Amino acid sequence: MTGRDARGGLLRLAILLTAIFDVMALVVLVRNRPIAFAIFMFLGQPLFLAAVIILGGAMLADLRAKDLL
Amino acid sequence: MSGRELAAALLTLLSPLAASAAEDTVPLPHGWLGTTSQWLQGLGLAFGLTNLVLLAIAWRNLRQSGLTPTVRGWLLVAVGLVPLMVAFMSFAHGLESSATVASCGSCHVMTPFVEDLHDPKSVTLAATHFKNRYIQEKHCYECHSDYGLTGTLSAKLAGLGHVWRYTTASYTLPITIAHPYSNTRCLECHGASQKFRNSPGHPKGEMPNLMAGTLSCLVCHGPAHPPQTQAASQ
Repeated sequence: MTGRDARGGLLRLAILLTAIFDVMALVVLVRNRPIAFAIFMFLGQPLFLAAVIILGGAMLADLRAKDLL
Repeated sequence: MSGRELAAALLTLLSPLAASAAEDTVPLPHGWLGTTSQWLQGLGLAFGLTNLVLLAIAWRNLRQSGLTPTVRGWLLVAVGLVPLMVAFMSFAHGLESSATVASCGSCHVMTPFVEDLHDPKSVTLAATHFKNRYIQEKHCYECHSDYGLTGTLSAKLAGLGHVWRYTTASYTLPITIAHPYSNTRCLECHGASQKFRNSPGHPKGEMPNLMAGTLSCLVCHGPAHPPQTQAASQ
C-alpha cells in the first residue's frame, strides 16, 4: 500500500467516525434519553476528536509528501 | 420512535415557533420565537443532517479524485467545522434536557414517582410543588441537586451513576435516596421567604436547627414521594 492509499484510507476512516458521531448527536437531539446522552458524551465526542486528529495528520502528511509544507 | 414523536421532531426542525405554539395552550408573549433549547434542537438537527450530506459528498469526491485541494476543503468543512457546531448544540441541548422530568422519568423505575407528580389527588410534597408550579421547570433536578457550580457537577456525576446502575441493572428495589435529604435544598427557595420565616409552624427556637439541618424539613413536611414499597411495586 502506498502512502497515498494509506492517507486515503485514513481520511475515509475519519469520515466514517464523524458520521457515527453525527448519528449519535442526532439521536440526542431527536430523542434525548440519559443513556443516549451518556453514550454521546463518552463515545461520540471522542470519536469526533479522533476523526479531527486523523484528518489533521493525514492532511499534514499529504502536504509534506507534495513538498508544500 | 413513534410517528407522533417523529412529526414533533420534524416540526421542531422546520419551525421552533410552530412547535412551541402547538404544544402549549398558555398564552405566549407577543413576538414569541421559541425557547433557547428549541432553537438549539432545531438548528442542531439542521446542522446534523447537513453534515451527513457533506460527509457523503466528501466521501464521493475523495474516492473519485483523491486528495485534491477541493476535497481538502470539503473534508475541512465536513469533518472539522460543521461537526463542531453539531457537537456544541447536541451537548447544550442534551445537558438541558437531561434535567427535565421527562428525562428522569425515562427510566421505568422512576415511573411511579413521576406519576405521583401528575396525580391530582396526591398530597406528597413533590406533587404539591409540581402541580402548583412552585418550581417552574426541571422539578426533579431542582430538588435533587445542590445549588452552585459544585451542586451541578455533583448532580451530573450522580446522574451518570444512575444511568450506569440502570443500564447494568445493578440497582436494588425499593429505590431510596443515596444520602439524607439536605435542608439547604429547601432553604434555597424558602430560606429568605417571609412566609417561611414568620410561619407559626417554624418557631424561632427551631430556626437554628432548621438552618443547620439538624432538624429535617421532611419531619413535618414529608413524605416527599409515595411510600417506597408502594412506588416500587407499581
